[in-house]
Amino acid sequence: MAKLVLSLDGDVLGYHFLEQGRFAIGRKPHNDMQIDDSSVSKEHAAILTVGNDQILEDLGSTNGTLVNGRTIKKHILQNNDVIEIGRYQLRYVNQKAQTGMDFDRTMMMPMLNLRHGKGHGDTETQAAEQVDTAVSVAQAANANFPLGGVKGLEGTHVSQTLELSRPLATFGKSGVQVAVINRRPHGYTITHVEGKKRPLVNRHPIDEESYALQEGDEIEVGGEKLAFFLKK
Amino acid sequence: MTVRSALEVATSTDAGVIRSFNEDTIATELDLGLAVVADGMGGYKAGDVASGMAASIMVEELKQRLLASPPDSPTKILHDAAEKANQAIFQAAQANPQYHGMGTTLVAALLHDNRLYFTHVGDSRLYRLRHGKLTALTHDHSILHEQVAQGLISADDAKTSHNRNLVTRALGVEAQVECETQEQAVEAGDLYLLCSDGLNDMVDDADIELALTALQANLPLTARQLVMMANDNGGHDNISVILVKILKPFPAVEPRKGLMDRLFGWLK
Repeated sequence: MAKLVLSLDGDVLGYHFLEQGRFAIGRKPHNDMQIDDSSVSKEHAAILTVGNDQILEDLGSTNGTLVNGRTIKKHILQNNDVIEIGRYQLRYVNQKAQTGMDFDRTMMMPMLNLRHGKGHGDTETQAAEQVDTAVSVAQAANANFPLGGVKGLEGTHVSQTLELSRPLATFGKSGVQVAVINRRPHGYTITHVEGKKRPLVNRHPIDEESYALQEGDEIEVGGEKLAFFLKK
Repeated sequence: MTVRSALEVATSTDAGVIRSFNEDTIATELDLGLAVVADGMGGYKAGDVASGMAASIMVEELKQRLLASPPDSPTKILHDAAEKANQAIFQAAQANPQYHGMGTTLVAALLHDNRLYFTHVGDSRLYRLRHGKLTALTHDHSILHEQVAQGLISADDAKTSHNRNLVTRALGVEAQVECETQEQAVEAGDLYLLCSDGLNDMVDDADIELALTALQANLPLTARQLVMMANDNGGHDNISVILVKILKPFPAVEPRKGLMDRLFGWLK
């Protein structure tokens, strides 16, 4: 279960467990966590639990709510986030709330009434765009290997230098001969996409399997000649 | 002539990097123009049972119902088939302790008479690539989607959410299920992608669009590349993809009309 550890000037004052529903923080006694201090607004912030998420929201407080040093209006709490409310600090501890730690199997959860306390029908569910859910850390998977690119020697990209920063890029002539260069965690590979003949690397046709590119490899595909390089 | 000759199809499914079992099931029945992806969930291997039942019941139901004369509307047939799958999985889960709590997502696409009919439950998706632009045709039945739709969090915040794996609807979990069935016109050149969330939770829509656009001349390679990208990005879940490319129109009945009909029939 998620926990909030309250501290002031480095001294731990206590902790609270976050349960389902809404958890209010403020100066007044009706809050779930009362912090009786002039730097804290009467109703300062609230944490709403929705499924596995705990969403921190500033309630228009005078001094604002910060997470890890940045002012927020709304924020999905991550393990070890440090929340600042007035002079106080709250450390959010929840081992389950770590980026990339969602290995839990898919589970069914009945629809909740997420519209809190506003018992009316005028906040119609918007026809929101499909949500892009791709894990943000996933994109960093390629970061360990140096960035590569190709230099055009002949053809469409002659005397151009192209960085290969996306997961894939195709070269050659559509309908004639095309190859794809993939950026993968352990380096770059080239694979045949279309055309009767396979592309050449250092004058040899590549296998059906993909070929792992090395610094200085010379690629010939669909009338293009390219030199592969890695950035140092 | 069936719809088969108007379609090119490629599939790929993989357990991913983390999981040891693949509980996704994919099925295609090209003579019907049908493609199905189901992502099973629940106890030890029960997810596999649920997704397998969903896929086989969809295929069998559509086979029978589309050949009936006169057939019902494709929308109704899809809808009924999904409900039948729901009941069968629910009953199996009730009857067998080891299957208790099993369920599955479903996305099914039926290409019939120049139209696309599709139904879905849960967070498996259907995308369309048309003129180089990728569009999601389904909205996830998930807590995450509801959070965004109701303004609790922004679409950008969705990436830091921990609710990726919580679906609000699934087949086989309750006696009744509300599946969402839609239809739209198809254009030659369209490329449709059905996938389980193991793809779109690992690969950005922008990168999916890039792969489909750049590689579609080789559809089997495209399918493999999508799975590879998901695994390269961590492969946290099972990954399934079905690609369906529309090569030409596929009217249900061969046009045998006279010249005047053909010229003026569309004016009616």
